[in-house]
Amino acid sequence: MPFMEIIWYMHPLTGKVNFFKLNLYSSQNGSIMQANEANIRIENQSLKSVISAGLKDARHYQILYLSSFLVYGIIALNWEITVQQLVVVIGSSLVTQFLWLKLADKPMSGLKSALITALGLCLILKSASILTLAVAAVVAISSKFILKIKNKHLFNPANFGIIFSVLILGDAWISPGQWGSSAIFLFALSVFGGIVLMKIGRLETSLVFLGSLFLMEFGRMYLYQGWEMDVLFHKFSSGTLLLFTFFMITDPMTIPNARKSRIIWALILATATFILGNYMQIYTAPIWVLFFMTPITVFFDKIWPDAKFQWLQ
Amino acid sequence: MKLKQIVLSILLGGIASSSFSFSGFYVAKADTKLFNKTSQVILVRDGNKMTVTMSNDFKGDINDFAMVVPVPTILKREDIRVVPASLFGKLDAYSGPRLVEYHDYNPCNPPLPQYYFESMDMVTSTNIETTSVPRLANKSVTIEAQYQVEEYDILILSATESTGLRDWLIENGYKIPSAADEVLEPYIKNKMKFFVVKVNAEKMAEMSGMNTVKKYIDDPDMGDVKDLRPLQITYESDKFMLPIRLGMANSTGEQDMVVYAFTREGRVESTNYRTTKIPSNTMIPEFVREKFGQFYVDLFDKAHTNENNEAIFLEYAWNVSPQFTGMKCDPCVGPPPIFADLKEAGVDWAVNSSNQASSDVFFTRLHLRYKRETHPQDLLFHVTPNKENFQARYIITNAATGDLSCESGQEYCVKVVKRRADELENLKDLTAWNTQQYKEYVQEYYDKLEDPTLMNRIEADPKRNDSFPFFPGDRHDPKGGLKWGILAGVFAFMLGIVGFRLYRKTLFGWSFSFSIKY
Repeated sequence: MPFMEIIWYMHPLTGKVNFFKLNLYSSQNGSIMQANEANIRIENQSLKSVISAGLKDARHYQILYLSSFLVYGIIALNWEITVQQLVVVIGSSLVTQFLWLKLADKPMSGLKSALITALGLCLILKSASILTLAVAAVVAISSKFILKIKNKHLFNPANFGIIFSVLILGDAWISPGQWGSSAIFLFALSVFGGIVLMKIGRLETSLVFLGSLFLMEFGRMYLYQGWEMDVLFHKFSSGTLLLFTFFMITDPMTIPNARKSRIIWALILATATFILGNYMQIYTAPIWVLFFMTPITVFFDKIWPDAKFQWLQ
Repeated sequence: MKLKQIVLSILLGGIASSSFSFSGFYVAKADTKLFNKTSQVILVRDGNKMTVTMSNDFKGDINDFAMVVPVPTILKREDIRVVPASLFGKLDAYSGPRLVEYHDYNPCNPPLPQYYFESMDMVTSTNIETTSVPRLANKSVTIEAQYQVEEYDILILSATESTGLRDWLIENGYKIPSAADEVLEPYIKNKMKFFVVKVNAEKMAEMSGMNTVKKYIDDPDMGDVKDLRPLQITYESDKFMLPIRLGMANSTGEQDMVVYAFTREGRVESTNYRTTKIPSNTMIPEFVREKFGQFYVDLFDKAHTNENNEAIFLEYAWNVSPQFTGMKCDPCVGPPPIFADLKEAGVDWAVNSSNQASSDVFFTRLHLRYKRETHPQDLLFHVTPNKENFQARYIITNAATGDLSCESGQEYCVKVVKRRADELENLKDLTAWNTQQYKEYVQEYYDKLEDPTLMNRIEADPKRNDSFPFFPGDRHDPKGGLKWGILAGVFAFMLGIVGFRLYRKTLFGWSFSFSIKY
């Protein structure tokens, strides 16, 4: 007598619940064997699909990327981040995102974005007060759901959280020098950052930003002021600048959709960073510039419309 | 090393978990030049106002002394002062790395209820080389101002061309290196002025009374001076920067610099180099007491190498406000800076107009070792709101002596053996000393054991550095209310949305796409 068994399983990455059917025909030994093989085959397939789905979602790369640098910072660079701080930032980001997703009835895969934001905060924002970090995380995540135009959030969430806590709370800061200038580390940061951006298809934004900023600094420091090249390189061998370039300004949700507008956008960003950094002595210039640049994205999208970015294509 | 005995009694405020009074004595002071070629600078930053004090421990013929410092503005006469050299000594003694000492009591012959600690302090030596020394002349140089401040002749120059400036300086008797023009160029392009200093030998002789002596003694030897007093300048600049490149113009070797920074808000850190804490709060063997100076020099060497020769080390960070009643160090190796010292250093907010002491003077001590290859850029700093305390502190525990043959005494010996082995490991990690030569240090208490198998049955004591240091920061959070308010606001907003949807649903009976499903 044939009978059917339904096996439920939860997709480990998307969290979606699915099932597959297994037909078992009789209790004869041979057919049970067959069924078992089928079972194994199906399981293999599901594992494959899990992996391929995992590779498709660029957020997984970002999570891996950011968390490995966080581990590097804590272990190799003795950052003063306590476990408590990590738990609070990541925990409050996830909880806030969860609640907002529930309210907006959106898929739970959005939690991955919250994890990215939380890791970004851990990497960039420093504070001795745990409460400040918690507020930064909650405000960062909530900004995505409250401050939005045409279904696109106005600010990069991590950037918003950082600026908010530095400006309003006052007891948080950014340590631009915290990464040192170890060549291997900077190389890894750029290469892996580049790979993640290739996945997202936003590499040109980073390259235009970094390239044009370098050209401007080259003109000023090397050609005009007469510093040696290694002074210039030292200025660019800043982990904070690279992390910003490869992770924050390329958040596909807050930058223009069309390639053309992204290039112009990156040029404006670089120019403003150059001016702020050199003539107003703001060492963390890119982070401030980005804060004011992301809302302008709306206009760019109006002039050069293009399809909105989807994490799972 | 000279011995001093000062008894300090520090009462901890209610902040610390275990508050009891200490009577500590400060045993020795290693006032030698432990680090070769060290400059000391005091930076006081208040908004855009900056006061820089540069120590001079120039030795030699005063006619050879020259100092060129790029400054952003044309300094006025009242912006330039000469301060007593003792100021650096006080700050150094107060904030230097320290050794704290505890005494175990003999478990067979108990207890001595007092905690003692002794500390030793290191003094770093100085040699200001932020400046450089040039030779030749030109017309591209303008003298913007000219002052005589005590024993110094000071010029404020502006220049349009670097070779011109170099030549001018050399022609006018300033001994600067010939390669200086390359380094001068960027500062000229940046529209910076140059604060140029020479010693006025005549005035110096007058001040030291040598002029009168000269009347009666023919040709006294007046070339070498002992101490040039530190110069202090004040200016407004949005750049919080310390030019180190000029000092490297003629130097290939490494130089050390100790920066004492005072701010209102909190710690100072570099924005273009990594600022990290020097390894601290570690238990080290008793015999280090005798060579603490060497210990710290080697520790610094190793930490410096571990950090790719480029990091800046934090050695001390504390709120030293005259009004701050909590303790300012543990142990204190010198009296805390008093009003007069702070004022002398340029902390003009230490006392306000109504003569009230300020509660926000934050003191950061940074120590870096730099050379041209690893530090191509001038040092840039920023003030962070980080008020967390820190000090370079190393712990010695003196083992009990006497008869330890009783049962608890034997257990104690096991603990000492284990602790001492750990201490040697720590010493090796910190300084790269070969600790194999100190086997006896562990052996000593092992030999006191009648039954060596006891070693396996008794566990080591918890490490003192895990349990002891209590560095209470400023725990009061003035914006705590705001923060909780924001958190409550966000979650209240969410609740509001839920409430609104429920309200619409119940009021009109419509079935909205209600999204909270549990």
